[in-house]
Amino acid sequence: MSWSEIQPLLFQGFWDTLYMVGWSTLVALVGGLPIGVLLVLTDKGGMLQNAPVNKVVGAIVNVGRSLPFIILLIALIPFTRFVVGQSVGSTAAIVPLAIGAIPFFARLVETAVREVDRGLVEAVQAMGGSTPTVVFKALLPQALPSLVAGLTTTVIVLIGYSAMAGTVGGGGLGSVAVQYGYQRFETSVMVATVVALIVIVTAVQIIGDAVVRLLAANRGAAAADGGAGKRLARLGRGRTVAVAAAVVVPLALIGYGIGTGGDDKDTLKVAASPTPHAEILEYVEKHLAEKEGLKLEVRKFNDYVVPNTATESGEVDANFFQHKPYLDDFNKKNDTHIVPVVNVELEPLGLYSKKVHKLADLGPGDTVAVPNDSTNEGRALHLLADHKLIELKPGAGPEATLGDIADKKGLDFRELEAAAVPRALDDVDAAVVNGNYAVDARLNPAKDALAAEQAKGNPYANFLAVKDGNQDDPRVRKLAKLLNSPQVEKFIEDKYKGAIEPAFGPVGS
Amino acid sequence: MITTKGLTKVYRTRDREVTALDGVDLHVPEGEVFGVVGQSGAGKSSLIRCINLLERPTSGTVTVDGQELTALAGNGKRAGKELRKARGRIGMVFQHFNLLSSRTVLGNVELPLEILGHSGQERTRKAHELLDLVGLADKAKAHPAQLSGGQKQRVGIARALAGDPKVLLSDEATSALDPETTRSVLQLLRDLKEQLGLTVLLITHEMDVVKAVCDSAALMRAGRITESGTVPELLATPGSELARELFPVGGVPSADGRTVVDVTFHGETTTEPVISKLSRTYNVDISILGAAMDTVAGKQVGRMRIELPGSYEDNVVPIGFLREQGLTVEVAGAAGDTKEREAAGGLVGEGAK
Repeated sequence: MSWSEIQPLLFQGFWDTLYMVGWSTLVALVGGLPIGVLLVLTDKGGMLQNAPVNKVVGAIVNVGRSLPFIILLIALIPFTRFVVGQSVGSTAAIVPLAIGAIPFFARLVETAVREVDRGLVEAVQAMGGSTPTVVFKALLPQALPSLVAGLTTTVIVLIGYSAMAGTVGGGGLGSVAVQYGYQRFETSVMVATVVALIVIVTAVQIIGDAVVRLLAANRGAAAADGGAGKRLARLGRGRTVAVAAAVVVPLALIGYGIGTGGDDKDTLKVAASPTPHAEILEYVEKHLAEKEGLKLEVRKFNDYVVPNTATESGEVDANFFQHKPYLDDFNKKNDTHIVPVVNVELEPLGLYSKKVHKLADLGPGDTVAVPNDSTNEGRALHLLADHKLIELKPGAGPEATLGDIADKKGLDFRELEAAAVPRALDDVDAAVVNGNYAVDARLNPAKDALAAEQAKGNPYANFLAVKDGNQDDPRVRKLAKLLNSPQVEKFIEDKYKGAIEPAFGPVGS
Repeated sequence: MITTKGLTKVYRTRDREVTALDGVDLHVPEGEVFGVVGQSGAGKSSLIRCINLLERPTSGTVTVDGQELTALAGNGKRAGKELRKARGRIGMVFQHFNLLSSRTVLGNVELPLEILGHSGQERTRKAHELLDLVGLADKAKAHPAQLSGGQKQRVGIARALAGDPKVLLSDEATSALDPETTRSVLQLLRDLKEQLGLTVLLITHEMDVVKAVCDSAALMRAGRITESGTVPELLATPGSELARELFPVGGVPSADGRTVVDVTFHGETTTEPVISKLSRTYNVDISILGAAMDTVAGKQVGRMRIELPGSYEDNVVPIGFLREQGLTVEVAGAAGDTKEREAAGGLVGEGAK
């Protein structure tokens, strides 16, 4: 990709990251500060000594800190929807980010406040100061440099966490790096985003350190620090500057977010996987939608769960990323009511190899990588069985697993996440790769595949889907018509050169 | 001004109890500087913290300026409003100053005024006044980190005086200072006491502090007050440990068959040449084995150990003469006395706390 293509991605990712990190930092500050102070006050020998409160709060904080962020992200979806009214997008990503950061920051606050000399607490109490006086006049001001250092660390951790926000369509630099660099082999984008992330993290650290130095200098420790800190200290009251920065910076970021958070009732919001679904939709949006009076908003997801839950809850109006066996399974397991509208394209699963050039060369002792999710694995095993590489047990269904193989014919299997399979090609003798990942990995199903799925009558065609009842929404009907238009057929054929095939028409049951 | 009755403080940990105060009855008269001395672990620190209820006594009462503080509301570590108000009228000075490094010198002195609810202008005016009082008018804008130890303690004193207290508590206020600075800080305390009519309760392990500023003193041992009184009273008390610690005299008899006598000078007698009178009157040769003289509360006092030839029986008359002069005379069985002091001692060497 050229710089002119990378630049808008970087800018959008940069703003999304700042927006998510800014907000969640502010919430972590507001939430973590009192919790951290409470932990100190209620601890043994503290001013509000209270063992039960201390233990319960401490336990909650520990649970919060031990949950892997990705788990928190998914587990919090209902709560997120309750708080911000949606579970996808940058704003929705803020909720899990903030909840993840609160216990983290709370512990840093606890440590910082605990470092304050007990003698100062005693001195303020001896003056007749109440507990709030002690907290606000002694503990917090004295701990301020450590608190700023803790906040800096929290911001940096949040930048790291925000890379996972792509799971819920939150965007951000980290998610751009994963989406383009990891899944689509766009090394230039990945390098650019990683450099941008390094620059941001370094900048945050430098600013944080400078504020800490400024505060220290303001306390008369300037003699050891010398020059810069002292000069800065003279510019203004360090504490005021620090507090102002801590408040203004996130607020400024939030302001941006509010500006971009507009919601248009007429716009049809469609959740899609980045390739090829979002690309097809963007083609429709740019070249065909306006003529039909259709307003389209495309939201990209790396994940296969959230687009469906978001469609069910009405946060998006439709989605385009899945096929029938997957949807049926999803509806059953999640009690959702998503229905297909119209088939659009098929990404034929293909068998690829960098070691052998024809099927017959694969034999006993060779390793084959297959996707590890239930639908794709079954689909891959059926492809292998169709080409006599293995034999499946009689009655093995679409969700066949390695356990359903009757005869492996000496092959050795490696199960991997679908997106990671093309990366394994150098390490295995052959691999069954999804069409979209094959395209991303610069493989051409038409030319490179040793074996590929048939397009005709294939149940794995990807379709536009909506919540049951919305099939006849005029906007949905318009989009369905455009997706099956000759222009889109040509677009798919030209762009994907057979790697992805048009598969128009109604969805069979 | 300060009275405690049966003050007891027991610290309970999971598996044991430590009695820090064991029924302390203390009375500090108004306008006095009262020193409590004792080794570390004797309970001094608990005592001073129980006076303003930073530590809540297990039992007993504390009355300051006619107000029974132990009767005021306050549950455990949390102090009620009335108690906090009472604390505002008791100044406290700390060994390690306990100044906020986040505030300027002026800001530190303003802090208690903020708590008392003074307006901004009023606070600044009063804080400047107080800094002037302790001789730090020019350091108002400095931060504590830029001050010497003695200056920090002056700020601590200014801060303690912000609430116009009648009572000042001093918790080892000079223990972290060098001798020179200690003297100037003690002089300041003495001056402030005269100027403002303060009552000062100070705890210390340094006998020099008692000598320099105290009108009265008490000795604490294992949570109890074992001796208490004005400094002249203590000196006049035969066998007083405090007197011995204040004016330690050493020296062992030069030969067997001699009598060793400790003579304590206090009050008027200090200006009389008693020893030469004794020598002339009874024609005895007197050796001075050791002596310690000083000014306590403006009066010359001291102790001297002298040796008279012959046994005690031979010296009954000269000793009687000394007593007639108004001196406190103790006959020391030399060897036993030395042992006893070693057992009791250690006060002076406690500085490394």
